[in-house]
Amino acid sequence: MRSVPLPRFLSTVKLGYLNVVNHLLAFPIIPVMVAVLLQVLELGPDELIAHWRSLGIDTIHALCTIFTVVVVATASFMSRPRPVYLVDHACFRPPRTFRVPFATFFEHASFMPFFDEKSVRFQVRILESSGLGEETCLPLANRCIPPCPSMEAACAEARLVIFSAIDELIAKTGLKPRDVDILVVNCSLFSPTPSLSAMIVNKYKMRSNIMSFNLSGMGCSAGLISIDLARSLLQAHPNSYALVVSTEIITPNFYAGNERSMLLPNCLFRMGAAAVLLSNSRREEDRAKYRLLHVVRTHEGADDRAYRCVYEEEDGEDNSGISLSKELMAVAGEALRANITAVGPLVLPVTEHLLFLASLVARRLLGPRGGKPYIPDFKRAFEHLCIHAGGRAVIDELQRSLGLPPALVEASRMTLHRFGNTSSSSLWYELAYIEAKGRMRRGDRVWMIGFGSGFKCNSAVWRCLRTPKAPVDGPWSDCIHRYPVHVPDMVKLL
Amino acid sequence: MHTVLSVDAMELLWTIATVLFLYSSLSFLWKAFDCRRNQNCYLVDYVCYKPSDDRKLSTELYSDVIKRNKRLSMPDYKFHLKVVVNFGISEETYGPRSIIEGREESPTLDDCDDEVDDCMYSTLDELFRRTGISSGDVDVLVVNISMFTPDPSLTSRIVNRDKMREDVKTFNLSGMGCSASPIANDLVNNVFKTRKRTLAVVITSESIAPNWYCGTDKSMMLGNSLFRSGGCSFMLTNDPSLKHLAKMSLKCLVRAHSGANDDAYSCAMQKEDTDGRVGFHLSKSLPKVAVRAFTENLQTLAPNVLPVGELALYVIRGLRHRLRRSKETKADAGTAVRVNFKSGVEHFCLHTGGAAVIDAVGSALGLNKYDVEPARMTLHRWGNTSASSLWYVLSYMEAKKRLRRKDRVLMLSFGAGFKCNSYLWEVLRDLEDGGAWEDCIEAYPPNP
Repeated sequence: MRSVPLPRFLSTVKLGYLNVVNHLLAFPIIPVMVAVLLQVLELGPDELIAHWRSLGIDTIHALCTIFTVVVVATASFMSRPRPVYLVDHACFRPPRTFRVPFATFFEHASFMPFFDEKSVRFQVRILESSGLGEETCLPLANRCIPPCPSMEAACAEARLVIFSAIDELIAKTGLKPRDVDILVVNCSLFSPTPSLSAMIVNKYKMRSNIMSFNLSGMGCSAGLISIDLARSLLQAHPNSYALVVSTEIITPNFYAGNERSMLLPNCLFRMGAAAVLLSNSRREEDRAKYRLLHVVRTHEGADDRAYRCVYEEEDGEDNSGISLSKELMAVAGEALRANITAVGPLVLPVTEHLLFLASLVARRLLGPRGGKPYIPDFKRAFEHLCIHAGGRAVIDELQRSLGLPPALVEASRMTLHRFGNTSSSSLWYELAYIEAKGRMRRGDRVWMIGFGSGFKCNSAVWRCLRTPKAPVDGPWSDCIHRYPVHVPDMVKLL
Repeated sequence: MHTVLSVDAMELLWTIATVLFLYSSLSFLWKAFDCRRNQNCYLVDYVCYKPSDDRKLSTELYSDVIKRNKRLSMPDYKFHLKVVVNFGISEETYGPRSIIEGREESPTLDDCDDEVDDCMYSTLDELFRRTGISSGDVDVLVVNISMFTPDPSLTSRIVNRDKMREDVKTFNLSGMGCSASPIANDLVNNVFKTRKRTLAVVITSESIAPNWYCGTDKSMMLGNSLFRSGGCSFMLTNDPSLKHLAKMSLKCLVRAHSGANDDAYSCAMQKEDTDGRVGFHLSKSLPKVAVRAFTENLQTLAPNVLPVGELALYVIRGLRHRLRRSKETKADAGTAVRVNFKSGVEHFCLHTGGAAVIDAVGSALGLNKYDVEPARMTLHRWGNTSASSLWYVLSYMEAKKRLRRKDRVLMLSFGAGFKCNSYLWEVLRDLEDGGAWEDCIEAYPPNP
């Protein structure tokens, strides 16, 4: 039987000091080598030769030592984990014809034969305080009265959003589809057979030995799961290119019932897709935008409350939909804390980490008398933050619990306003916002946080390798000049 | 500061530097060696799903189900039954409860959940029990069920039920067809290359309840006749300390995706018929597409699997064949050159896509009746259980005590996309578990 897993507290301690222990050798070796170097520099050439001769090392020994040093150093260098670069990314730009202003949403909802009046008013009230703007987009099938969610319509939406994003990525990077070695696609609520990954292979005529994977059902945090998978594959295959596509297909998921907890997704989810090109080829180091530093995944599914808070089920009338529980915020907060506990040791400066650790130890030993939990100052670890634009409440909750200034959550709020909740691709729209605003600089660190059903909280940390050249082409090109906008707490429609 | 240390102090400094340097070199070499040790992928154990007897779908019961579909005409009924009979399946295959109980046209979400949960939970519980490993030790969890993806995913369902750790890496594959088992294996194998001492559990199955076709399109009726309930959970690891428990070791994995070709992409496809009913369309060009994908896979597989001698012989035979063809007319040129796969592989797990598929693949690989018997018998006893069929075939071989230490097993499957995936295992010790065949292996092969 393998070892018993450590409780979370001890895992933190272990993680934190693992870094120290792993680099234990650096502690004595560096001062020693520096001391040796200083002494050697202070000696004159004659003295140096005299010392050398006095050590009694002959030429052969010296050559062998130098040879060993060179071999070990080269092998060490070559066997380092290969860095994973983000060459570029592109998002789907919905045409204006797909937009659903509040008035359209209200009118359509009123005409739907299956909604009672209470449900219509409820959905409108949700929309009014959702943080969404008037330009978010729904697919054609959802604009029919009643919606016509056929498989063909869902495939059409998939082809539109995915191919647009990939075409844009190809235009930006000059990528040849036959050069793609790894393809990871994630779409939670629509999974035809053959898969969406096969659809992409077919459209772009990709190679037959491509390593393709299609993830489904994994919720809004699946974009970072795909990045994690692509990273593992890249680490196992040198000089490769990975195409990661994240999307959510809205067509088949319209809820046609009156259960309040299941009406929320109708109000919040909108069309979107993102395509990301990753590579571990050293050739790409010159033009890659970001380097992937860490991916940390946390799964709270063992807790029943967390597992049930975003749940697909049927209502009393056999209509299926996604039910969002009232405990969603609390669960999200706990999942975030768990994720931070794992991310913190990897990114925080030593002082912040020690303070966080001390607070954890104090609370563990002394209970509530140990003081309030210390919230590390993440502003010292990151310049930019991309929080999944799940809804206004999620962003508010995170801002409050992490003590973030409004500037750090602006990208999330504006993405929610302009594009709605595009599920797993929302993080890429937020990154595009920061770039379009000209705020991204070389050396900046970006923290992406995704939440999703399960309940999962996943993080990815990137470092910017080059300042994006203005004007940045992307989903915000035609509207960035209008942002940021003030998003009122309530937009009165009724 | 101009203090020059004495010669003794300098020598001490050099000695310390040398010792530290040697220590770092040795630790680096140990790390490199340890890394290589962890590159292997071992199959610790596997459990095939055996549904309860009340889920047996006999021909008579199946015919009652078809008759309930009032849209079908008499020729359509006959077509259905003809397919079932020609397919080569027995009266012992299993179907989902919703179909047997009359809800095939409108299964509820609970019906779909029950079908999948029964398979996943029973096989997982048995797997943990047999290996003595607990769910809290699982580092990677992969589920592949092509045609049912609830939210939260099936991986989350298992994490919840079995209380797995919060840092468990889960991957829920979907839409990847009947050849998804090697794909799941490939995923785990790649994760193994980046992490030491990792334990992975893979669950492979298919969901039939929500995918019963209720229309009249013949190309979509085939799916109803062919697919049956089944599944498998298996445990993989790259931890050398678990090698003594392991049954097999993965030697090579080859994936071939012919989706770039439009015929190949659309030959096995879920879509709506003219009345808007969703079904699984199997086109007439499927055999041709399968052959092409199969050839492509073999071209990469053969050099990794066959001994050098056989490869050399193949090249020589190929050259002779070409010379003969250039000298004689096409009619006299004779049959194509075949490779004898039996020179590098002892056992063959072929996807149970149908009797015709097994025979065609067997003939292409130069196999005899003994070699294709496990696949044929699996098809007979369990039907086409999609991605998990390879594991039932393996289980037959094990129950028949065919798998001996150092034997090599080739698993070959086809799936929508169109993909042909194969992988080669080496057996680590003599295997004798009856598994899902325990109660019936004596009756196989049935007397003619």
